[in-house]
Amino acid sequence: MSLSLYSRARSTAAWRISVWTTVAFSLCSAVAFVIMYLLVARNVQARSDAWLTGEADVLSEVVANTPRDSLDTKVVQEVAELASHEVVEVQRPGDQPRQSVFFLLTRPGRDPIFVGPPEQELFMSAISSVSPKPGVPASVFVREHMVPFRVVWNDAPGGSRLYLGFSDTAGALMMHRLVTHFLLIWCAMALLGFVISAAGAFRTLQRVERISATVDGISTQDLGRRLPETTADDEVSRLSRTFNRMLDRIQRSVNQIRSVTDSVAHDLKSPVTSIRGSLEVALLHGDSEDWRERVADAVEKLDRLSQTLNTALDLAEADAGALPLKLEALDLGALVENLSDLFQPSFTERQHHLDCRIQPGMFIDGDSSLLSRTIANLLDNEVAHLPPGCKISVTVRQSDQSAEIILEDDGPGFPEEIRARAFERFVKGEHSSGHGLGLAFVHAIVQAHGGCVTISDSSTGGTQIRIKLPSAKVSA
Amino acid sequence: MRLLIVEDDGAIRTFLKRGLEEAGFQVDAAANGLSAEALVVEGIYDALVVDLGLPDIDGLEFIARIRAQGSTAPVLILSARRSVDDRVRGLEQGGDDYLTKPFALAEVVARLRNLLRRSSAQPESTRIRVGDLELDLIRREARRGDRLLQLTVQEFALLEYLCRNEGRVVTRTLILDHVWRMRIDPATNVVDVHIYRLRSKVDTEGVPPLIHTIRGIGYVLKPV
Repeated sequence: MSLSLYSRARSTAAWRISVWTTVAFSLCSAVAFVIMYLLVARNVQARSDAWLTGEADVLSEVVANTPRDSLDTKVVQEVAELASHEVVEVQRPGDQPRQSVFFLLTRPGRDPIFVGPPEQELFMSAISSVSPKPGVPASVFVREHMVPFRVVWNDAPGGSRLYLGFSDTAGALMMHRLVTHFLLIWCAMALLGFVISAAGAFRTLQRVERISATVDGISTQDLGRRLPETTADDEVSRLSRTFNRMLDRIQRSVNQIRSVTDSVAHDLKSPVTSIRGSLEVALLHGDSEDWRERVADAVEKLDRLSQTLNTALDLAEADAGALPLKLEALDLGALVENLSDLFQPSFTERQHHLDCRIQPGMFIDGDSSLLSRTIANLLDNEVAHLPPGCKISVTVRQSDQSAEIILEDDGPGFPEEIRARAFERFVKGEHSSGHGLGLAFVHAIVQAHGGCVTISDSSTGGTQIRIKLPSAKVSA
Repeated sequence: MRLLIVEDDGAIRTFLKRGLEEAGFQVDAAANGLSAEALVVEGIYDALVVDLGLPDIDGLEFIARIRAQGSTAPVLILSARRSVDDRVRGLEQGGDDYLTKPFALAEVVARLRNLLRRSSAQPESTRIRVGDLELDLIRREARRGDRLLQLTVQEFALLEYLCRNEGRVVTRTLILDHVWRMRIDPATNVVDVHIYRLRSKVDTEGVPPLIHTIRGIGYVLKPV
């Protein structure tokens, strides 16, 4: 149980973050401690060395000024003992009391004078490794003494030599305590640091965990769910907001797809019913002329139906940004003129007057097939919806950095109730027989080309549709 | 002319086979790419009709394979996808053609004939004669009997297209594609209006009509 919890914790990012933070923190504090330790140790040694050299000088003077007689040994010994008592003995509890100062005066032809701990021979052999210079303290290890002695020597008159040694047990004890305390505090700090950073990381990452659980729980049926957003501006809050925005977009497009599917299904039902009816009547009544008529009628209706489907699919692709535009340098004027020529007889037949005002040399980067269908859609609308005898004008001209197509008529104008939603799908006038996708298609294609389309009243009271398309980068 | 249809949908395969046979082609059919490949290797086909969504290999890959094996027969691609992808458009420039489903049989026939004509480049004639209708393609003049027809540029192009397809039904889509060079599908009867005006000049009262409407499909120009 606890093992599995541990292994689960180990696999989390929070664990890794905490471990690395703790390691880095511990390393840095250890380095800082070592530097501090070295500084303190040097300082402590400098102080004991200062006492040592000073005392050695005093004793040298005593030795030099004491006349050589039978009492001199006694005098020097007394003075040396006095000096050694200046040092307060510090011992760790339980340790054998030891003297931490020794004094040695070698005298050629006489016995040396030694004041200090009882193991005189050990000191005698140890002083062979002292510093080669007089008056400069050096460390000397003496057997059975944990703390090394700092030893300084001076020459005295008559070829004798004076050694003074001091083992700074107080300083050593202090340094020792410093290390033990540091280690304890260091461990505690590392542990505390790990706990704090782990808690912080777990808390933050738990929010991420909650986000992923919530997002995981959102299905297509339940796209309305959102992540809780806080006012904070940290990374996790931003993540929540980003997710929510993404969900908004997904929900919008799913809703759009739903409404389109619904409308398509609805719009398919009536033609399918009527086609089925036509064919059924044809089957029931075997009259060959009537039969031919009804089958032809069914084929025409099917053509209309597949046209609706195709436009709906094109629209869906355009919305998904998946409509492949085959861009080429396109003479917009020529394209519009060609289409106007195509539609001219249809207008004439309805006693409309079509007026083309085309500025030559208007080049754009466009997909000629899609733009042809776009403009054909608009002209189809004019043919289908205007009462006979209207004036229609098509203008192609330069406007700033754009090519502009303006289609104007003096008809009854766009029905007010649908004007605002004219470019949405399946929005159509009350008496329209179209599929309601024409203007949505126009809008989608113009947008895909980076242009815009607007609808407004024309100066003659009818409708004005204005399409702006960006001009070609390099006009041909 | 011998054709091979490669199409996995049984209903479409059957109606295409029947329709193309009625149009005067000799037709074989295959339901998948691999069996079709075995047939094509024999080199007996003048043209192929290939559906892109084959069950075993992708239609475009099938075409690449037979091309690699040296087949030069033109291919008419059938695609269920609406937006024709660039690779297919590329093929179109290479001498092949495509149609998106649903399509009219007349259109399949017309496009196949077009492909076959392209692949066996006939010398262009300067005159076309159908019954007592005569088109001078150099002077852009049309006569019905002795009467010079007053046609606009567009009307002449439309008549020329109908004459070139004498006896064959052409759809509105084909007319728009070949006469106006536009692949559009107008919701209103723009093509019908053009035909109506042309007919009023070609088939005047008292002469036997040449231009006939085939309801539900399109138009055909043929002498009585």
